[in-house]
Amino acid sequence: MKIQPSPRKVVIVPCSGIGKTYGSVSREAAYEITQELRPEETRLVSLAMLVLGDESSRAALVDAPVLTIDGCKLACATKMVKECGGTISQDFAVLEVYRRYKQFKPQGISELNESGLQLARALAEEIATVVDVTLAETGGEKNG
Amino acid sequence: MPDFLEMTVDKFTFKVAGDRFYTAEGVWALVDGNRVRIGLSDFQQQRSGDVAFAEVKPTGTRLALDEEVATIETIKVNISLGSPVTGRIIEVNPAMADAPEVINLEPYEAGWMAVIEADHWKDDQARLMTPLAYLAHMKAQAEEAAKK
Repeated sequence: MKIQPSPRKVVIVPCSGIGKTYGSVSREAAYEITQELRPEETRLVSLAMLVLGDESSRAALVDAPVLTIDGCKLACATKMVKECGGTISQDFAVLEVYRRYKQFKPQGISELNESGLQLARALAEEIATVVDVTLAETGGEKNG
Repeated sequence: MPDFLEMTVDKFTFKVAGDRFYTAEGVWALVDGNRVRIGLSDFQQQRSGDVAFAEVKPTGTRLALDEEVATIETIKVNISLGSPVTGRIIEVNPAMADAPEVINLEPYEAGWMAVIEADHWKDDQARLMTPLAYLAHMKAQAEEAAKK
């Protein structure tokens, strides 16, 4: 029997951003990329689980390309992944993306308004492109 | 007067530059002859959050006292900033269009917004706060916010 290596996946870590509009955009974008746009190519890892020291979450970062999404300049997702020894291929800041999509002004926290959801989709599409490039550059290897 | 006055409320430290005047809304005014450089105080930028967009009225715009000179959109709020002086805008910081986050990074230096040629600086100055007065004003606002 020939054992096929697991397909390489890009790990996505959004910030928690509880109570923050831009944090909600971060999480929505993460869901969009991992559940809709690139479900087979990505894996969602919870920032809270990393903070708690969850072994399987931390193990997912080992040898995997990681994309972080941060809602504010505190950049908690990026900092935590670095602290866990992960290698960040690219970090995305919601505010910087919003500057490119001024028409999508996010509002709301527990429920984003339509513009916020559109901003999350736009961000997810940018991330999808980076996922494709990352996998093309590092494809064929195994992780998590 | 020291370069900066400082105050800490809760976990936040706010600086007040000692070489300029302030409006109650946190717009600073630094005078050089009849030219007045304006910007946002450290307290106001921290309180308002990360700046997404800053739009300053164009060069040549005439402004009455308190007339809107700029609008700022942050991750928390939209702010309309009134001019601390009467006069005409003679320079706008190009960073406001390209990299408005400089307001957060260097509110008293590279984060300046515009230079206004003042018509009557002495008259306008009398309406502005000294650094010490602004420090007290800011302290009251910060302590009020900390209670919420």
